[in-house]
Amino acid sequence: MQSIGVDRRRISGFRGRDVSSGWKHVDIVLLVATGLVLLFGLVMVYSATRRFPGGAGILLRQGLFVVVGIAAMFGVSLIDYRRIADWWQIIYGVAMLVLAGVLSPLGSLGAFGTKGWYAFGPVVFQPVEIAKLATVLAVASYLGSVDRVDLRRLGTALVLLGVPMALTMLQPDLGSALVFIVVGLGMLVVGGVRVRHLSILVILGVVAVFGILQSSALDQYQKDRLTAFANPDGVSAKARYNIDQAQTAISSGGLTGYGLGKGPSTRLGYVPAQQTDFIFTVAGEEFGFVGSGLLLILFAIMIWRIWRAAQLAADSMGTLLCIGVMSMFLFHIFENVGMNLGIMPVTGIPLPLVSQGGSAVVASCIALGLVQSVHMHRYA
Amino acid sequence: MDTDSTHVRLSAIGIVAVSLFLALFMRLWFLQGIDRQAFEAASVSNRVRVIHEEGPRGRILDRNGKILVDSETSIVVSLDREPLRKMEQPERNAVFVSLADTLQQLGVPTKLSLIEKRYADLRYAPQEYVPIADDVDPSVEIYLMERADRYPGIIVERKAIRSYPYGNLAAHLLGYVGEINEKELVERGGQLPGSGSASTTSTTTTRPATTQPTSPADSSSGATTTTLANGAGGASGGRLTDYRLGDSIGKGGVERSYEADLRAVPGERTIEVNAKGDLVDVLSLESPVVGDDIWLTIDIDLQAHAERLLAAKIQDLRGRRDKENNRLNAPQGSVVIEDPQNGQILAMASYPDYDPSVTVNGISQEQWEAFNDPNSGLPLVNWALQGTYAPGSTFKLYTALAGYKSGYLRNGTEVINDPGVYTIENCQGEKCEVRNAGSTPHGTVNMATALTVSSDVYFYKLADKFWNLTDQYGETPIQDAAAQFGLGAKTGVPLSGENPGRLPTPANRKAAFEARPDLFMTGDWRSGDNINTSIGQGDVLATPLQLVNSYATFANGGTRYQPQIVTKVTRPSDLTLPANDPANYTLIRQVEPVVQGTIQIQPDQYAKIYDGLLGVTQSAFGTASASWQASKTAWPMAGKTGTAQVSKKADTSLFAAWGPAGTGEPARYAISVVIPESGFGGEVAAPLAFRIMAPLSFGTLLPACPSADQSECAAAAEAASAASGNDVTSGSAD
Repeated sequence: MQSIGVDRRRISGFRGRDVSSGWKHVDIVLLVATGLVLLFGLVMVYSATRRFPGGAGILLRQGLFVVVGIAAMFGVSLIDYRRIADWWQIIYGVAMLVLAGVLSPLGSLGAFGTKGWYAFGPVVFQPVEIAKLATVLAVASYLGSVDRVDLRRLGTALVLLGVPMALTMLQPDLGSALVFIVVGLGMLVVGGVRVRHLSILVILGVVAVFGILQSSALDQYQKDRLTAFANPDGVSAKARYNIDQAQTAISSGGLTGYGLGKGPSTRLGYVPAQQTDFIFTVAGEEFGFVGSGLLLILFAIMIWRIWRAAQLAADSMGTLLCIGVMSMFLFHIFENVGMNLGIMPVTGIPLPLVSQGGSAVVASCIALGLVQSVHMHRYA
Repeated sequence: MDTDSTHVRLSAIGIVAVSLFLALFMRLWFLQGIDRQAFEAASVSNRVRVIHEEGPRGRILDRNGKILVDSETSIVVSLDREPLRKMEQPERNAVFVSLADTLQQLGVPTKLSLIEKRYADLRYAPQEYVPIADDVDPSVEIYLMERADRYPGIIVERKAIRSYPYGNLAAHLLGYVGEINEKELVERGGQLPGSGSASTTSTTTTRPATTQPTSPADSSSGATTTTLANGAGGASGGRLTDYRLGDSIGKGGVERSYEADLRAVPGERTIEVNAKGDLVDVLSLESPVVGDDIWLTIDIDLQAHAERLLAAKIQDLRGRRDKENNRLNAPQGSVVIEDPQNGQILAMASYPDYDPSVTVNGISQEQWEAFNDPNSGLPLVNWALQGTYAPGSTFKLYTALAGYKSGYLRNGTEVINDPGVYTIENCQGEKCEVRNAGSTPHGTVNMATALTVSSDVYFYKLADKFWNLTDQYGETPIQDAAAQFGLGAKTGVPLSGENPGRLPTPANRKAAFEARPDLFMTGDWRSGDNINTSIGQGDVLATPLQLVNSYATFANGGTRYQPQIVTKVTRPSDLTLPANDPANYTLIRQVEPVVQGTIQIQPDQYAKIYDGLLGVTQSAFGTASASWQASKTAWPMAGKTGTAQVSKKADTSLFAAWGPAGTGEPARYAISVVIPESGFGGEVAAPLAFRIMAPLSFGTLLPACPSADQSECAAAAEAASAASGNDVTSGSAD
């Protein structure tokens, strides 16, 4: 296998070649940033849920998931990503089956009649979070093993991306479907798809988006949510209310915020879905520009470190893996914070590592474990 | 794969990432750094409700401190529209449908359409609670409170409403309370939030905490403008003009003219609510201050007595016919009793009456139409001051005064022969003969006997002379004398809707004709007009209140007081303690009598008129002597009957009198009784007056019964009804 990460550093590498101890090469900055964001998230979940009757239980569960996530992150990072990639077909296949399964009677009905969950007693599992990872892994493994991305390989990669996207559209979970587009785009760009092909893809994508919005494939509420940010008067009272309340909460926080537990919108429950999709409003209201800005900086550091890991990766598979994870995180962060700030449409996209929800936290941690793995095993 | 290309592409992705983060930071800074204040206001309006609380109005007491109008607590179901606005249309409709169903099952007749209308009513400020059902049972409150989660945005509040312990008694005088309308609100400088936006983010809730002192009260009610010293006024100070839509305001009677005293200083409660609209915290609390108590000049026992006898009399009259076979419809009637020494109104009865308790939660459309249906007799009208009638022979008092004041009569001993017919001097045409009632000849009469027997001819001649000698006596000696008694102008009683009546003069007839030549046959004034005016016919109109006030003026020797309704305003210390104990209140202000004018007349001339009027009841020839004999008062009374002709209808029966008379003691009571379409003054109005006055004069008046205990009153009413039938055949011609 000819590496693409190649590079000066590896050739002129002066670091030790002691591969037996991967910990030496762990990205401490990324690790610390991840830990801080997780901690920040727990505080936010605490603030957003403490007014609920079962608030303490929600926080405890979230804490448990964080612990599980951190364990998974360390576990995954210890394994050479190439060993994991060897299994990509199986992992991808199982993930798709599980994702398809939620559409069956096994899946649980969620809000607006969408199906995106499995419920095992008290534990709720959202397979799309795992499917995103599996897809990143599959595309990275498939494209990372070749020099050139010809049309046939491009087509296969598009199929790998298209299957989970179609399945999430059927739920329907528009936000997650968009994740596959963005992740795919990022990986195809870096993966060496020709500019010509890429341009055609982008044009097709744009046409498709407009087509979807014009067609009857989306329910009115979905269109409303998507277009609310551009057309504030044309949306339903509920969507408008959600957007208004989120911006009101964030803005009233000002420079330093009301302080933990003191934000009126948070305290009195004015922002719907505040512990999940609108958790950024807690940071905005209670910690102000300083606190929510700090959260964004931590995220920015994480993105930077993942991007750096992509650059330093030993091979193109590692690079693509990191880019996939980076695209996923970047889209999640931008879309989620953007909708909280009123500059992006409202879709059900959680804020990575912060929003309450076990599947998302664990999946995000595993994704970061993969990045760490790429970073730690770059000399192997 | 090309390394350089990968590098370039990675860099491109990095640039995209940096730009996206920059975008987020810029937006975050815009919201939190630049645009913060706008959103902060929205945050406050989200969660803070300023609730305007009216508080209980002051009570209305009679002159002895008996409570005529009280305040009690009512439970009101209202909408808090903030949480409802957040719902989708179907969800909200479901809440409304469920609420309407529930209320109806609980016996509250609230229609879905009303709830929807109130929800969309832009006249209420967005943050204000909008009432949808008043005065519900406590069980409704409990039911709704227990299921608060099923009825988001539904608030149950308590508010003070009016109660009327004496039922219909004095209903016209007391007036009623209703929701302020837009006109009244604007007049008081209130806030009309009609243009308010319904958006959740653009509304403001906080209002200045400062309160404005009141301006002098209700100047719109006409009568009160000149009576600030006596009537409603700003003397109490510190009252708020802070009215809101949905507030209560006095709509008539004392409730309206003493609004500034009765109204509680509104309170304000600032509360914090959560997203569901549930109360979380009270941020500030300013309790309303109970309104002041108003003490009326009315004696409720006398009022009850007068109303009962008036009603019995009218009910008895109806359906009978007079000697010309005109139906006695007696559509209405009024009795007013005044203290001649200070102008205080002791009783003011108007028939038909109404039950003021139907107004407590707002008058329904059906009820309002019924009240204003002419067939109902217009029960809301206070005929005592809104009804105008030709005063008939009661007017002769003024003509008599004119005779002396003009100098035409020297001492009243001048006699004329009254053959029952008078031929107008220098008359050309057909109607040159005018007659006494029934053409009865009275023989030789002077001023006193002319009044006693009600000789029209005596006054015809006087009026004819006046008109023939206008260069000597002016055009309007009769009208001038009547005006001195207060005719043709509002008395200034502090009650709304008072009618000034009408005092025709050559000048105002001419003006009226020139303004609308199509409406009048002529603009000229002739001898016949003077003659008609002299006996209270023609175009003369007076209210029963003007009538009693003019006789009270004569009775006290010529001092004309403004009729007084309120004696004092007090501030109670504890509403649960007896209202009439001076230990339980502090005096805010005492209302002093207001003298509006005095009539100068020589004592011997005064005595002539006095004797004539005393003779009406005491002389065997007096027009009211038989009826006085039938129900004697403790002391003699003096007065004048009136039988006014109204075309195509039965006569209006009038009587105005005072007592004690002729005993040397000061007059204590003046009374006027007016019943249209009922017959002779001496046969209907006078007997009724004496029967009302008799127990008063003997001090045997029965106490009025509160509605809660009607048994005694029912028995008394029955007795009154039985006695009323005897009058119609008694008495002599007028």
